[in-house]
Amino acid sequence: MNTGKTAAGILLLTLLAVAVQVGASVSGRDYYLTQLTMAAYTAAVVMGLSLLVGYTGQISLGHAGFVAIGAYTSAFLSTAPLAHASGTALGKSLLRFHVLASRPELYGDGTVVSLAPGLAFLAGLLLAGLVAVGIGYPALRLHGHYLAMATLGFGLIVYRLVLGTAFLGAADGISSVPPLPILPGVACTGEPGQRIANYYIAAGFTLMVLLFLLNLTDSRTGRALRAIHGSERAAAATGIDTAAYKLKVFVLSAILAAAAGGLLTFYRGSIGPSDAGAMKSVRYVAMVAAGGMASVWGALVVGFVLTFLSLRGCFGSFDDAVFGVVLIVIMSFTPEGPFGPLRTLVVRFRARRRPALANGESEKEIPRVVA
Amino acid sequence: MKTLAKCALVLGLAAAMVSCRKKTSEVTGPPVGQPGKPIVIGALFAVTGPASFLGAPEKKTAEMIVDQINAAGGVNGRLIQLIVKDTGGSPEKCISFTRQLIDENKVCAIIGPSTSGETMGIKNICETAKVPLVSCAAAEVIVNPVAKYVFKTPQKDSQAATWIFRTMKTMGIKKIGIVSGNTGFGKAGKNQLEKLAPEMGIEVLASEVYDKRATDLTDVLAKLKAKNVQAVVNWSIVPAQSIVAKNMKQIGLNVPLFQSHGFGNIKYVEQAGEAAEGTLFPGGRLLVVGSLPNGHPQKAVLEAYKTEYEDRYHEAVSTFGGHAYDAINIVVNAIRKAGSDDRDKIRDAIENTKGFVGTGGVFNFSPEDHNGLTLDAFEMLTVKNGKFELYRP
Repeated sequence: MNTGKTAAGILLLTLLAVAVQVGASVSGRDYYLTQLTMAAYTAAVVMGLSLLVGYTGQISLGHAGFVAIGAYTSAFLSTAPLAHASGTALGKSLLRFHVLASRPELYGDGTVVSLAPGLAFLAGLLLAGLVAVGIGYPALRLHGHYLAMATLGFGLIVYRLVLGTAFLGAADGISSVPPLPILPGVACTGEPGQRIANYYIAAGFTLMVLLFLLNLTDSRTGRALRAIHGSERAAAATGIDTAAYKLKVFVLSAILAAAAGGLLTFYRGSIGPSDAGAMKSVRYVAMVAAGGMASVWGALVVGFVLTFLSLRGCFGSFDDAVFGVVLIVIMSFTPEGPFGPLRTLVVRFRARRRPALANGESEKEIPRVVA
Repeated sequence: MKTLAKCALVLGLAAAMVSCRKKTSEVTGPPVGQPGKPIVIGALFAVTGPASFLGAPEKKTAEMIVDQINAAGGVNGRLIQLIVKDTGGSPEKCISFTRQLIDENKVCAIIGPSTSGETMGIKNICETAKVPLVSCAAAEVIVNPVAKYVFKTPQKDSQAATWIFRTMKTMGIKKIGIVSGNTGFGKAGKNQLEKLAPEMGIEVLASEVYDKRATDLTDVLAKLKAKNVQAVVNWSIVPAQSIVAKNMKQIGLNVPLFQSHGFGNIKYVEQAGEAAEGTLFPGGRLLVVGSLPNGHPQKAVLEAYKTEYEDRYHEAVSTFGGHAYDAINIVVNAIRKAGSDDRDKIRDAIENTKGFVGTGGVFNFSPEDHNGLTLDAFEMLTVKNGKFELYRP
């Protein structure tokens, strides 16, 4: 994997994203963008998780918990009324500096003052990062799958907490989340008028995550992570601080999950406890596995396509069943992810065309599955 | 060769998934080639998943009614096309499908969703898109605060709670214990019970919340027993309603058991067996059609619905299917009265619906009341010899 290839891939993907939007708008099928936007955020979560699972060999069975931390923090802080604040001098100056934001009541005449959505969003990232450090610090100093156990418990705890907490709406969740202003006139919201803008916000976010992760895996850090995945002891023996690297990646993937969860919440306008459920976490891990474990591209494509089709209602009442069958087929026939065989084919094809190089050059390229 | 086969497999899988794109929902609807464009109504039901006991009968009922209306020539000379989306009880899918129905299928109104959580997720969407929504979910927050475009058909929790407390008063019960499930339905009921109890002069000695998947509730019931409660109120949905009844007998807590209107399915009685005898709960009259006096305004409607549903699907009719019966009929009547499938005109017509006799009661909507039912919609029911009966003190 070299920089040229990465750049070409990203460029192609960007062009594809633009082409999809233009195609949808020109043919009057703008409505596809709604599900494309939601699927893009899910794909970002899956990519972040694939970094953790595929590159460090650590499994998080509680990623829906981090998504929920980002989502609920954003939703709660941006909706919780701070009525008393708007009257005070401090409150007024905070309003002026956009620390607080006021918005009209949807089912009434008054206005509500809450924390600015942007700050609420950032608070979600911070909280997710802190929680990840809290869980990861002890769990990742141990060898073996302790992180899986810890995160499994963590995911269940988050689900129970949001389900049992009155101010988080308990079983009903939080609705009427305000838009998240991004640029003047552009906000992360589900309003039909902002649909195209939001498609690009989601696509831009996902592409940035992709670029960041590809760069990371292609760097010194990435090589260290792969060494850890190969053999933790050997990696430690070569001077890699395994615990620190694992913790960094875990925290990073938690923050990515929280960011995607927060943006998705502003887009949807509501959040409920089922988004924090254990089955959600399992789905994320399953999509990483189907994407080929250590393949950011595979995670992107599988996460995106499966979520998109599911949200379109393509599988009807058989949603979970179709999802399971797709996983089984991919895992049993191409465990290296959907791109594995394609890649091998391309490599072989090239080798045949350039027989002189076959021994030296292409040997290196053959499937070290790194994408 | 093997690689090639694998490539083919991956591509084949992708092609298969894209090709199944077409069948995105189940459409009950006019045969092709009928004159005039059909009137398109959307439906969101949790046909599968944890809330399927709500969504499945709702979907069947709505499809049955639409078939009947189309067989009779449709509305205003146009046939109705019903697009049913299975949300699986997931708010995320519900939001996605709502946007699909509104932007893509250009529906004139939406019936459902089945659960309160899903309804709250799309309440604002329908309100801002100005699409009439007639929900089949129970929670009071759906219509309070009133959203201009959002209505609901199930009776209010507060009305059910009032019925329970009234019955308690006639029985001389003063001190009670509440147990409720941690679902939207359980939470809403608990809130209403705790709010109304002091007004009705009843003291709540204990209020416990349990997990919706709990299989044994002796621990929470033991707490109630220790407080010497005179009656137990349980507010939940499957399957805890049967478990509460059984566990009470097991620990010897021999006081009257009141359940919510969620008990309105004979399956819970069957699951609880002997222990369900004497259980009291407020319910719609659909469950006791046989014992309604002749001439009761709802009797004819209920009997017709019950016979048609049971003949067509060979399963017992339930209260939940009735919510969809009311929702689809309210929408169709509104279309008939508005004389068009314009969303705003339909909304106005729904709000002006007066005296509609449904399965849940007689609906009278107004700008302040988007539920349209009064206390009169409920009857106090009890279980006798494994069957539902009107409770007569």
